[in-house]
Amino acid sequence: MKSAALRKLVRLHLSRDRRGAFSSSFGIAIGIASLVFFVALGLGVARVVREKIFPVDASLVEVIPSQLALGLFGGQLDQQAVDRLSALPGVKKAYRKMSVKVPAVSYYDGDFFGRRVRMGVEIVAVGVDPEFVKADVKLGEFVDAGEGQPIPVVGASRLIEIYNKTFAPARSLPQLSATMLVGFSFPIDWNRSFIAATAGGPFTSTRGQVVGVSDRGMLAGITIPLETAKRLNKSNNADAEHFSGVALQADSPSDVPGIVVAVKEMGLRVDDQERRMAENAGAAVAITTSAMALLSALICLLAAFNIAHALSAAVRTREKELGIMRAVGAKRGDIFALVLGEALVLGLAGGVAGTALALAAAAGIDMLAARMVPDFPFKPETFFLVPMWLPALGVGLGLLAAIGGAWLPARRASRIDPARVLAGQGT
Amino acid sequence: MIRVEGLSRSYDDGARGKVRVLDGVTLEVPAGQFLAVTGRSGSGKSTLLHVLGGLDSEFSGKVEVAGTALQGLSDAALSRFRNEAVGIVFQSFHLVPGLSSVENVALPSAFAALEAPSSRAKEALERVGLGDKLTRAPEQLSGGERQRVAIARALFHQPKVLLCDEPTGNLDAQTADEVIALFKRLNGEGLTIVAVTHEDRLRNAASRVVSLADGRLS
Repeated sequence: MKSAALRKLVRLHLSRDRRGAFSSSFGIAIGIASLVFFVALGLGVARVVREKIFPVDASLVEVIPSQLALGLFGGQLDQQAVDRLSALPGVKKAYRKMSVKVPAVSYYDGDFFGRRVRMGVEIVAVGVDPEFVKADVKLGEFVDAGEGQPIPVVGASRLIEIYNKTFAPARSLPQLSATMLVGFSFPIDWNRSFIAATAGGPFTSTRGQVVGVSDRGMLAGITIPLETAKRLNKSNNADAEHFSGVALQADSPSDVPGIVVAVKEMGLRVDDQERRMAENAGAAVAITTSAMALLSALICLLAAFNIAHALSAAVRTREKELGIMRAVGAKRGDIFALVLGEALVLGLAGGVAGTALALAAAAGIDMLAARMVPDFPFKPETFFLVPMWLPALGVGLGLLAAIGGAWLPARRASRIDPARVLAGQGT
Repeated sequence: MIRVEGLSRSYDDGARGKVRVLDGVTLEVPAGQFLAVTGRSGSGKSTLLHVLGGLDSEFSGKVEVAGTALQGLSDAALSRFRNEAVGIVFQSFHLVPGLSSVENVALPSAFAALEAPSSRAKEALERVGLGDKLTRAPEQLSGGERQRVAIARALFHQPKVLLCDEPTGNLDAQTADEVIALFKRLNGEGLTIVAVTHEDRLRNAASRVVSLADGRLS
């Protein structure tokens, strides 16, 4: 059958029953719209969880000492253990971390980005190998400058988000950004605390200067160079030999399970709390999205049944017309293609309309959320993620539903016996 | 032009079992003949026509029409035969609503590669005297005009054989006479016509008449 003739006949048949065609196409559009909407929402929320709330590096393994230290390889993290960890298969690099065991506070009294502020906060600090946060350092070198010199500090991206969305509005403080914070300095008094007992000796004052903000920065505290942490611990007679943790960078995420097993065999523990939380949150999003997508798929299935019903009725009504086509030379395949072609047009229209409807609804919800939903930590600019494949999937599923629904009516139409249907009275 | 040997056709009719509609029919129609096939209702006239037109392929015996042996042909081959070798006219016209006269006549071109189908359709319509009603929809035509459009559609591919199933059955006397006159003119131009009918005026117009009774020619 010539394609131009096929197009013309398909158009003719659809135009004769516009209401039926609209009804069939509408069913598909609703199914596809809800499918695309919920998949885009699920992907968008998963992205927020993955990139903002729990920005877990899939190739990073956080090693911490065992709760019970047992002798030679008894779960302590000294340099020897770090060397062994570095030598494990699949480990690309080991980044040491050391908690500063000296209590510290910051009394701030001065200008804070245009607002006068007086506050005191307890400081928790951890030292890390400079390489660990090097990519996020924007000012000077992230190295220990020696006693009395300002300590380079890396802040946590998530802490800024929480500050901006909760603390700052509550206290009428200015909103901050990573760029604004770089260069900001604040006083630190070591061996002082509001809540914990101190070593009893004199406190020493120094300044911390923010040199960058990183996803790898400590969430509830400051991240400083490892050598600074060692120096502070040593000068206050605290342990400066054992590390509080080691971050192992795997060659690839697929190496992580093997590394985890090897780490546990060494009597050490893996701190996968964040990863688990990310996985749990991701799983919750995935389950919800899957349930909604399943519901949408059911709507598509109902739409396919609707098309099957509508086309079956149309084929019965047009038996004589299809019979005359057979009588003037149409092959069975031509009749099959004709009925399927009608369904394809309905599926294409429904798929395109449904996808467009979903994208419009997503844009509308983002707009409403931006205007009407109060700010909260990690509130995204958009709740939706629409990868290139999603509109294609929407249109493709629309076509698939239409083809699925049309298959049997098309087959039945192609098997019409022209001698039987043309023998009676008719047009 | 048409050669039929021992043609039989049976239907499975539920409780009545197998019903033999055609029973060993043998018939030869030379080129240029206008044959009328008569008989009572249920005598097998239409079945014979459907077999000759390639609409019914479940028969036994030998059937050759316009040089094509029809027994055992595939669906594709039979479709091509219907498209090119024969034209079929039905009692009920069977025009496609929504298509104009010229589009209805050109319908066979949808299923075959053919150049300038519109001009051929116009020629066919002019041949049946409807050159001034090219763009009319079926519902805007009289019964006789509709049948002439159907005849033009059957002539579209310039077939060697025209098969007609009660072509005047739905027409009034005057219109039927016009259509019969058209058949006679086409036959005079060399077209072989086989018309199944129970009407005297069409039977009288034919150059030969055969009668079917209980599936057999007499």
